[in-house]
Order: sequence, then C-alpha cells, then structure tokens
Amino acid sequence: MYDHQEIENDEIISLTNTLRWELGIDFHDKIIESIYADATKIAKQSIRVEDAKNSTIFDQKVDSIITSKWFGFPIMFLLLAIVFWITVAGANIPSSWLAALLLDTVHPFLKNIAAQIGMPWWLDGVLIDGAYMAFAWVVSVMLPPMAIFFPLFTLLEDLGYLPRVAFNMDSLFRKAGAHGKQALTMSMGFGCNAAGVVATRVIDSPRERLIAIITNNFSLCNGRWPTQILIATIFIGSLVPPHYAGLVSAAAVVSIAVLGIVFSLLVSWGLSKSILRGEASTFSLELPPYRPPRILQTLYTSLIDRTMLVLWRAIVFAIPAGIVIWLVANIYIGELSLAEYFIDWSNPFALYFGLNGVILLAYIIAIPANEIVIPTILMLTVINSGLTGIGEGAGVMFELDSVADTKRILTAGGWTLLTAVNLMLFSLLHNPCSTTLYTIYKETKSMKWTTISALLPLTLGFIVCFFVTQLWLLFSS
Amino acid sequence: MELILNPITSLIIGTVFLILLSWILWPRKGLISLWSKRSKNTKQKLQEDALKFIFDCEYKHKSCGLHTISGNMNISTNKAAKVLGQLQSIGLIVMKEDQIRLTDAGRSDALKIIRIHRIWERYLADETAIDNLEWHQGADSQEHLMSLKEVDVLAATMGNPVFDPHGDPIPTTNGELPTYQGQSLSSLKEGDIARITHIEDEPSTIYAQLVALDLHPGMEVYIMDVTDENIQFAANGKECILNILFASNITVEKLSKIEPTQKKYQTLSSLNVGDKAQVIGISPKCRGQERIRLMDLGIVPGTEISAVLKSAFGDPTAYKIMGATIAIRKKQADNIYIKSMLNKNEQTASMRELSGVS
Repeated sequence: MYDHQEIENDEIISLTNTLRWELGIDFHDKIIESIYADATKIAKQSIRVEDAKNSTIFDQKVDSIITSKWFGFPIMFLLLAIVFWITVAGANIPSSWLAALLLDTVHPFLKNIAAQIGMPWWLDGVLIDGAYMAFAWVVSVMLPPMAIFFPLFTLLEDLGYLPRVAFNMDSLFRKAGAHGKQALTMSMGFGCNAAGVVATRVIDSPRERLIAIITNNFSLCNGRWPTQILIATIFIGSLVPPHYAGLVSAAAVVSIAVLGIVFSLLVSWGLSKSILRGEASTFSLELPPYRPPRILQTLYTSLIDRTMLVLWRAIVFAIPAGIVIWLVANIYIGELSLAEYFIDWSNPFALYFGLNGVILLAYIIAIPANEIVIPTILMLTVINSGLTGIGEGAGVMFELDSVADTKRILTAGGWTLLTAVNLMLFSLLHNPCSTTLYTIYKETKSMKWTTISALLPLTLGFIVCFFVTQLWLLFSS
Repeated sequence: MELILNPITSLIIGTVFLILLSWILWPRKGLISLWSKRSKNTKQKLQEDALKFIFDCEYKHKSCGLHTISGNMNISTNKAAKVLGQLQSIGLIVMKEDQIRLTDAGRSDALKIIRIHRIWERYLADETAIDNLEWHQGADSQEHLMSLKEVDVLAATMGNPVFDPHGDPIPTTNGELPTYQGQSLSSLKEGDIARITHIEDEPSTIYAQLVALDLHPGMEVYIMDVTDENIQFAANGKECILNILFASNITVEKLSKIEPTQKKYQTLSSLNVGDKAQVIGISPKCRGQERIRLMDLGIVPGTEISAVLKSAFGDPTAYKIMGATIAIRKKQADNIYIKSMLNKNEQTASMRELSGVS
C-alpha cells in the first residue's frame, strides 16, 4: 500500500515537472497581474474615492515650490544650514555643563576617593584617568549635539520634507551611481556617521545601500567639526589680519566639508563601476503626503533609536580605549614609554605624509570616537616634547580653554601650517571610528564590506596627504 | 626634521606606487581580476564543453562531427579529436563512422552541466546587475566550478525557475528536458506573426547585435519582408532588418493570429505632467528585483497612472499610482508601456464636442 502511494507521488512530481515547462516564461508575472486585477475589482466595488481632497491640492502647491528649479535648492540649503546652526549653537551650553560636571567635578572627586582608600596608583590611573576619562569625554562632547541634531532631522523627515530632498538630489546621485536618498544619509552623517549608516536602511536597493554605507564616512561628523574648527583657527585664521580670521578659518572648514561631499560622490561613482558593479539595483522613492509632525513621538524615537544607540556603542568602545590610552603613556620599557617608542619609530614615515608620529598614534588609540583625538594629541605632544606644567599627567587627556595655549603646545610639538592642513585632510579621510565600523558590520553582516569601509578612506587619506605634502615641499623650496 | 628623500624623488615613488596599485586593482582589466578570471583550458573543462555541445546538437537534431566541434569550441581538430577520444574511453560518447552520439551516462552528465549553466545565467539576470552580454560568459566559467547540490540550493532560493533568461528550458534535477519545439526566425514567411521564445547567446558577437536591437524572449514579431539575404520584421513597433544568418539565432513560436496586436508602445517616460494613462505592461528587458519592485508598487496591466511632478533637474518624475505618489527614474519609465488616456478636461471637452455634433 505504502509503496504504491510512493510510486504515485513520484508520478505526480514528474508530471508537475513536465507541466511546468508549459506555463511559459512570464508565469509569475501573470500571477501578480491576476492578483492585482482581482484586488482592483474588489476595491472598485467597495471603495469610493472622493475627488481631489483639499489636502492633495495643498500638497501639490507645496511640492511645486519645493521641487522647482529655482527655489528647490536654496530652500534645502537654508533648512540644512538652520539645522546645523541650531545644533552647533545649542550644543555648546549643555556640553560645557556636562564637561564641568563630569570632567571638572566628578573626576577630582573620584581621584580623591581613590587616594583615601589607598588605591594603587596604576589601578587609579587605568580606571579613573583612563576608562572614566574616556567615558566622560565621549558623553560630554557627543551627547548634546546628537540630542539636538537628531530630533530636528527626524522632525523634517516626519514632516515629509526629506523625501523631497532625495527627489531633487537624485539626478546628481544617479550620475554617481547612487540613490537620491543618499543625500539624506549623507546629511545624517554630518551628525554622526554611525547614525548615518543606520539611516541607510531607507535605501531599499542593495547596491546603492552599500555605496551609501561605505561613503558615509566622507561626511564630516560632529566629532570632527571641533577638530577642524580648532586647527583652522590656530593655523589658518592666523595667516590673515585678525578681523578676517574668523571668516577665513570658517571658509577653510566648510571647504573641507565640501571636499568630503566631492569625495563621497567620486567614490560612489568608482564603487558602482568596480566592486559593486554586479550588485542588484532598483529605484523607487515614495513621496508621502505632508502631515503635521508628531513632536513627542519624534523626540522619543530619535532619542532612543538614534542618540542613545550611538552613544551606548561609543561608550562601550571608549572605555577600553581609555585604558589603552593611559597604558601606552605609562608603560615604560627602559627610558621611554610605549607611546614614545611608537612616535619615534613612526615619525620618519609620518613626515612624508606631512603628519607626525603623535597624530598617527592618536588616530590609532582614539579610534572609538573622533571627539577624543584632539585631547589625545595634546596629551601625547606634551609627553613627547617634554613640556612641563601643562596638562594633567601622562595618560590623562586634556583640552585647553585658551586657543593660544593650545597653539603653543602644538608648535612645541613641531607643527607647521603644512601639518595643520594635512591633519584637517586626514581628519576627513581616515577610517571611520570603531562605533561606526561596528555599526557597518551590524548592518551589512559582512567582514568584507566592513574592511573595505575602513581601508578605503584610510588609503585615500594617505594618498592625498602624501601628494599635498610633497607638492607643497616642492613648490615651497 | 629633514626628510631623506627630496620631494621630486618622493613624488616619483608615490606616482609609481599609485600606478602599480591601480594596475593591480583596476576593475576587469587589473591583475586581481585577470588572475581570478584566468580560465585554464583544463582537461575537464574541455570535456564538459564538448559534452554540452554534442548534447545541444542532438537536442536540436543537428548533425555533429569533429569539425563542427572543433569550430564551435575554438580548438584545433587534433585537440578536438583528443578530447573526443578521452570521452569515448570513459564511456560518455560513442563514435560510429562520422556520427557522434552520447551514451546515457554522457547525456546525464551533459544535462547536469547545462542545468548549472542555465540556473547561473538566470541568477545573474535576476539577482545581480550584471549586463546581459556577460551572463553567458559568467555561467561558462561557473558551470565547471559548482556542484549540482550547490545549484539546487541556489535554484530553491530563486523559486526553482524553469527557463533561463534567453528562454531556454532548465533541465530538472532528474535531467528531464521538454522536447525541442520552435522554429528559427529565418524560416518564417512574409505576414507571419510569431513570439520570440529564445535568443541564442552564442556566438557572443551575434548575440550583442540582437541585444542592441532590443529583442527579448516574449516579444511579438510581425514579418514584413523576406529576401534571400535579409528578413525584415516589426518588433515592439520598431522595424528591424536582420541578416538571415543572424535571424537563425532567434527561435520563435508561430502564433495563429492574423492581426498584429502591437503598434508602437508609448512609454511612461513620454507622459507629460498632469496627464493620465493606463499601464499595458513592463518590457521583458526589466528583470529580477527591479521588475518585482515595480509590480509590487502596482505597475501591472490595467492600472491607472498619472504623472504629477518632475524633480528640480527633470529626472526622476513622480507618478500617482494607486493613491500613492512614487518617484521613478526615466530609465525605468522607459521600460513601462502605457496607453494614453484623455485627462478629465479633454474628456469633458470631447464629450461636449460629441454632444454638439449630435
């Protein structure tokens, strides 16, 4: 009986296999079409559509302004500029509060307790000067701008404005082999690259999404703006008379950001023509109707989904990095600390790129967040050049309130205008921070793309710095 | 600190390094891609290619001799004879006088290779953005590398397709294949109407020409004129003239219609903002994820669609489809066929005209 049934089953299967040939090439299309035909028929019988509601007419009017040739781009630049201005201006105050609390109050307090309970100096150093300091730094510098930038951005998104930006920008990005929505993830990257990488989920085409992920790092993020502004003020603003200084250094920073956008488009184009050529690609972009933003929900989702997620990942990476930073400055082999060994060893190599060993080491050990690169550079410069009376000791990151003092330290470390220019370029073109790398891995689930995302900008950075330096030396000699 | 190398030396070294780097990494022509593409004419590959060709001849009832094999595989007659000798000695073919026939084992091996080849072509066509001129080449190298099991897994993820993108049937796991039907385009007479079922992808130079004419399986053709050298026909409203030799690479299925249904289709990209139309279909050129996405959005025959907005640079354009506003690019809209509908004002205007006449 059983055997009999089995034979029957086999016959049925082989019969179906032969019948499948007769279904033709477009069998699947036919199924989808018939489902839609049925659905439309049912919908027509049971749904009545009121013609041209007021809201659609309003939408069309707004759209015709926002997507027009003459107003579209000015409106976009204006809105983005306002968002950035509010972020930068608004973040300063809570940032200084947090710094006053976490760095100037809690840190000495913890040191005090450690001294009272007789904690060994090295444990105190590793935990409080290393781990705690890195944590405190990341929180105080990272949290306020993100907590302002993301809700504003989400608000624009909720309003329905951002899809129109993608709609307008698509033509440019199409030429670079990318998706119009990359304009959005790129803008998001100006806030934080990790959040920008998460935001690429809105791009539903596999190839364009990978392009957006790999190139997001070319958006100058929140953590790098302060570095750019500081270095531009010290070295570039000082080239011109004082009343132009602010304008010139601002122009220098903006041109670095614009250079980032140029690189982003060029690399997108290169990727779509080379390693990502074969990935599947589609395009569609929904323009949702405009609607009043749900402010409370926006605040909640942007704080929890974006700000907290990114901050948490940054903290997780910052704590071990803080320990490493303290250790390399405090472990001695013979006369020199590990940091000094590395700096001396890498200096001859780094100088060809217009950088120095301190900068290279800082970019390696401050990988968790770009925010702590400058404090690390200052600390390492003080150690390496043997300055006394500045900073808070080996392995303790610090920053100075006075720009002139910062300049004194850096000049003592051998910095010139060329070093400054290269640092600004390298700050734009280097591997993403570990938070972003981890996020890229989480999003792509692929070591290959994560590695490429790290090495591609780094290689570009070294190439650009090398040629800038050598050409500079050639023409200045 | 002074640098040991002067800037000119450094710049030369840097430039040389860059050139080297791009020489290694350059897509498709660089060292790495050449290395990975380097297809060795190994014994196994030659044998498998020969099996495949002999099978194809049997399937299409064409005669198959030493010279056709060496010509098709682009190897010398001596080498072809050697390969055939090897195949005979392992019992995959039998040679009687000038006739070469596959044994059952040989046929089953050939079907295996063909299955891998066609499924891989289908994969490249539907799941990647690889250009259609490169499908065949890609599958040609893959067919010697993959096992039948791996291919079964791949086929399952694609919903066990039964045709490859050129319209060829894919053999089942058991090695079944439908009997060969269809006739070549060159055998049609003037006035015949037929549907393209298959476009041969070898030799690639001819295939490239056919692709350039925008011919795809599933298209309807109407024969306008046949001479000794050329065949003139209309496909998708476009007149094409093909050399008979080229036309023999297209397989068609004759339709018993008298009137050609197709005029020149209007494409969605030609729809002006504010105008309404009805979707007729999506060109067979648009495949895979892209096609599924468009259909999911509701772009299926019968759907009403209207152009509502052009972006600041003019591309993409937003369309109203089933109540949603969706922007798609011009290149995609080129592949969507529509039938223009009068918009409301014109409709009422023409009604007024009609009532005025009556």
